[in-house]
Amino acid sequence: MENHLSALPEQVPAPAIRPAAIPWRQVKDRLAEKSFFVLSLVPILLVLMIILALLLRTRPILEAEPFIDLIFGRTWKPLKGEFGFYPFIVGTFWVTVVAMILAVPPSLLTAIYLAEYARSSIRSIMKPLLDLLAAIPSVVYGVWGLLAIVPWVQDYLNPFLSRWLGFLPLFVSDNPTGYSILAGGIVLAVMVIPFIVAVTFEVMRTVPDGYREASLAMGATRWQTIRSAVLPQVLPGILAGVVLGSSRALGETMAVLMVVGNVAKVPSSIFDPAYPLPALIANNYGEMMSIPLYDAALLGAALMLLLIVMTFNILSTLVLHRLTRRSLV
Amino acid sequence: MNTRFSYTLLILVVVFTLSASFIAGCGNQSTNQGSSDLSGTIAISGAFALYPMMGLWTEEFQKLHPDVNFDVSAGGAGKGMADTLTGAVDIGMVSRDVNPEEEAQGAFWVGVTKDAVFPTINTQNPLLADLLKQGVKKSTFEGIYISGEITTWGQVIGRPEITTQIHVYTRSDAAGAPEVWAKYLGKQQEDLLGVGVSGDPGLLEAVAKDALGIGFNNLGYAYDAASGKPVAGTTTLPIDINENGRADADEILETKAEAVEMVASGKYPSPPARILNLVTKGKPEGVVKAFIEWILTDGQQFVGEAGYVQLTHDQLDAALQKLR
Repeated sequence: MENHLSALPEQVPAPAIRPAAIPWRQVKDRLAEKSFFVLSLVPILLVLMIILALLLRTRPILEAEPFIDLIFGRTWKPLKGEFGFYPFIVGTFWVTVVAMILAVPPSLLTAIYLAEYARSSIRSIMKPLLDLLAAIPSVVYGVWGLLAIVPWVQDYLNPFLSRWLGFLPLFVSDNPTGYSILAGGIVLAVMVIPFIVAVTFEVMRTVPDGYREASLAMGATRWQTIRSAVLPQVLPGILAGVVLGSSRALGETMAVLMVVGNVAKVPSSIFDPAYPLPALIANNYGEMMSIPLYDAALLGAALMLLLIVMTFNILSTLVLHRLTRRSLV
Repeated sequence: MNTRFSYTLLILVVVFTLSASFIAGCGNQSTNQGSSDLSGTIAISGAFALYPMMGLWTEEFQKLHPDVNFDVSAGGAGKGMADTLTGAVDIGMVSRDVNPEEEAQGAFWVGVTKDAVFPTINTQNPLLADLLKQGVKKSTFEGIYISGEITTWGQVIGRPEITTQIHVYTRSDAAGAPEVWAKYLGKQQEDLLGVGVSGDPGLLEAVAKDALGIGFNNLGYAYDAASGKPVAGTTTLPIDINENGRADADEILETKAEAVEMVASGKYPSPPARILNLVTKGKPEGVVKAFIEWILTDGQQFVGEAGYVQLTHDQLDAALQKLR
């Protein structure tokens, strides 16, 4: 015992050796930090390089035609040298907006159910299944859309909706086939639902239970609690989830391309075919080499798409940032 | 402890045996097939029109030269051309003419066989009997696909009081079939009206599901390979070639054999009949050259079997000259 105790003070001089050892540990730490930093720079540089490369390759067409004409031109006849992107930009937004209108309400309700109502046993089954939905390859969704959604729109939705809501220009149908914005929107909606649910669910779980307990203790019902205590806290987060879903919808190519009809005309109804930017690139990159200015035009389409998606992503980051700073910390 | 040790030992033994036999196997292979002069992997992509034919050719070529491997994918003539010019594949299948711009970038091509594009409609079409009896004139196709003046099936058969709408489908991807179909109508793919569907099989599927649909397909897709009949749910729409207002016996192509015969005899208009090309970047060399050379000589015996139309001897000789 005594021996043991007396051994302790003897260890005190030991730090004299340690100062020599610490720098190496710190150097290692520094090295690790720096290499992590360099590694995390790579993707950022990559994005910048992609933008730069796209800009360089797009230059010929920017020089040949005024930017405004490209953005607002309505005719797409590359062989005749007419490159109007307007139908494609509009088509991209139509499909995305229809998808989000269809996807957001069920996603929110699902997330609320999973986060607030569901027992943990149900949650542990449903959450992985929803995540699985996000992992299905887009071409599978495309085939499903082709076999199930397009005929459904053609035989039921289109005649039914245009008959009862045809007085609204949005539902007037002069495209008798099912290949339409609506078909693309439905397929996309199913694809983005898991994303929106996942984000909304996670954000709702960040609300401390104390909020709910306080509300319930005052006699509020479950729904009143959710509406008045939980949702106001997570509104910015839900917005971020929706924006995240939108940027996925904006960039989705294969599944949309297969059902949307690919007609380069400005749509005026949800039953019209449309031609979103990603589909334009995917369908035509084969001809890139063959027609003058075509590659510049297609890469311009890629640049436009990248900028649109980037804006959406930056928006979602900003919103998430505000959420974490204002409501939760 | 003991069981764990023996398990480890067992696993080690299994792994060792496997790897040993694998290495031995590799060694055997290389000695056994040392007699074969050709080896390597040939990547091919492009036209749906040539895809079934290429499948047969690669299979037969591999029987002769087992060390040559193939990687074949279909994605439309445009993709075949782009992949070849960017060096992603060795051979591109291109079911249309090669543009001067492509030649300027080093595209080298030889024609290897011939097929045609046929208009297809659904067998449930309410006016099917009239359509098959009358055939359709070129000017009518122009009205449907180019000007958009013809919008009902009644107009097609000359009975405007029938107002059943035509559901026009075209290809969305850059490909040979729409290019050739448009060329037949005096235009280019970008001028074709209709809802764009991706891929040859996709377009056929769209027509097969839509009673009022009209599309166009390559020989190899319009007709079922096994039965030689048009694919279930669809039929080829006779083109009134001599414009006499009715579909003559030789204009009705009920089987693949009849269609091949019409194309081979030159009675079927060209376009939409056309020569199918193989494209390489620059003149091919080595195993790629050997393969194309084989296609132009011994490979030609499989052309009929696959349901394509053989080129004339002069055309084949010219192609061989160009290759050498």
